[in-house]
Amino acid sequence: MIPRIRNFSKWGFVCGRISVLEGNFLPKEFFLNLINQEKTDDIVAMLQDTFLREYISPGAMWLGENFSNIFDRCFNDMAFSLRDDCPSTLPVDLFLIQNDYLNLSNAVKERKDFVFPSCLFSYDILTAIAEGDYADLPKTFKESYAWQTGEIFGINPALLDIIVDGAYLRHLLMFSDATESELIKKYIYMRITSYIIIAMWRGMNKGIPLKYYQQYLSPVGEFNHLIDDLAVSGNIENWRGIIGGEIGEIFFESSEYEELDPISIFDLKVNNYLSNMAHGGAYQTAGPERVFAFLLGLLTEMQNLKLVVIGRINNIDRDFLRARLRECYV
Amino acid sequence: MSPEWIEIGRGLCYAGAGLAFGLAGAGSAWGISIAAHQCAGVLREKPELFGRMLVMIALPGTQGFYGFIAAILIMTQTGLIGGSTIKISLGTGLAMFFIGLGCGIAQFISAIKQGEASAAGISLIARRPESAGRAILFPAFVETYAVVGLLATVLFIIFLTQPVVLKFLG
Repeated sequence: MIPRIRNFSKWGFVCGRISVLEGNFLPKEFFLNLINQEKTDDIVAMLQDTFLREYISPGAMWLGENFSNIFDRCFNDMAFSLRDDCPSTLPVDLFLIQNDYLNLSNAVKERKDFVFPSCLFSYDILTAIAEGDYADLPKTFKESYAWQTGEIFGINPALLDIIVDGAYLRHLLMFSDATESELIKKYIYMRITSYIIIAMWRGMNKGIPLKYYQQYLSPVGEFNHLIDDLAVSGNIENWRGIIGGEIGEIFFESSEYEELDPISIFDLKVNNYLSNMAHGGAYQTAGPERVFAFLLGLLTEMQNLKLVVIGRINNIDRDFLRARLRECYV
Repeated sequence: MSPEWIEIGRGLCYAGAGLAFGLAGAGSAWGISIAAHQCAGVLREKPELFGRMLVMIALPGTQGFYGFIAAILIMTQTGLIGGSTIKISLGTGLAMFFIGLGCGIAQFISAIKQGEASAAGISLIARRPESAGRAILFPAFVETYAVVGLLATVLFIIFLTQPVVLKFLG
């Protein structure tokens, strides 16, 4: 019998690159040290030891806004570079489509300022959508009830965001169906669950009736029940039982922090949980899980750097920053 | 023993030799390819590691040579090379065929697995170049069984072509 090593060598090149790049990941001590810095120049000097060294020159004038763009650019450049070397782009697209849907959100509002790098939806398609030509509107968007009933035209922009969120979640589900990796499937399942909870929780705090989520976020495959149940329950105290599983427990723990921002804490804890889960992929010699785990680690690192650097430039309390640090890859 | 049986016996010997070399060569090519993909990715980021990587890529290639040695030995001992006139019975031919097949399978699988072990070692060297000495041990352990496979093949071939054994096998 031939040993089962299908696709192994195909992923070898990109995973070889990742083996080297992983050596640049920063430990938690680095971030704690960065938080203790007083001057922006010292922070910039420390950033020379990170993935950002090619993007930042010491001595230049730096503002928080510049940094935010740099972190995003660094992640996107790396993701696109790895995408070119991957036999299947799915593990990379999983991270990049969020940008596409942010651009799409502008396009359906007839705005042409697409600030995020496009991956699956080209700027030409987005421009055409912004100009009212819906021929190339993604299938995931056209599956929304609002599109199919024609309700979408003239709808409130806030509700349009919910429809785009629904399309994004349906795209994640498509990825889940396309991949054979159990790790990536599980990640997508939990990511969609947490995304729905956060979106509905935020909506409830803003006073948006939850029935709109039933109406505009759906259909999201097997998650329709979750959306319906959360919307119907009315009381957030019942959500833990409805969500269930690990995410339900994280939700319960986070909702205890009423005096702080429980939604951010939930987001942080879910991210930490998912990072720990995905880290198993880092032990694979070559395969899609390795790429996926690396990109999740890089995204986490960029989010930590963004939090600390912009937080320190704006003199945010150090204890607050320490509490909001996400778990590092190394 | 009829000449037809002798011919079948010889044919089986050569088929065994072909399988020993063919499977071992295919396994080596496959194993090297696995290690080379990983290595190329590492060199894309750190070209200075080429020297340390070279041995890791070359290791799965040894099985091809082992298969070649086994095939040559079968051919010399049975008279295809060297023109000896020993009589190969059907029993001897079958024995040689399965020795060649066994050798080929051992080399084929060990070469692929060694390629995977080399790829893992390459990952380790990429992260910690100072661990190159330790990383080479992983594929070297796999090599042990390729060598044991070759050794067993050589002993069997020599034993089976002794006059007393040939007489016993008919």
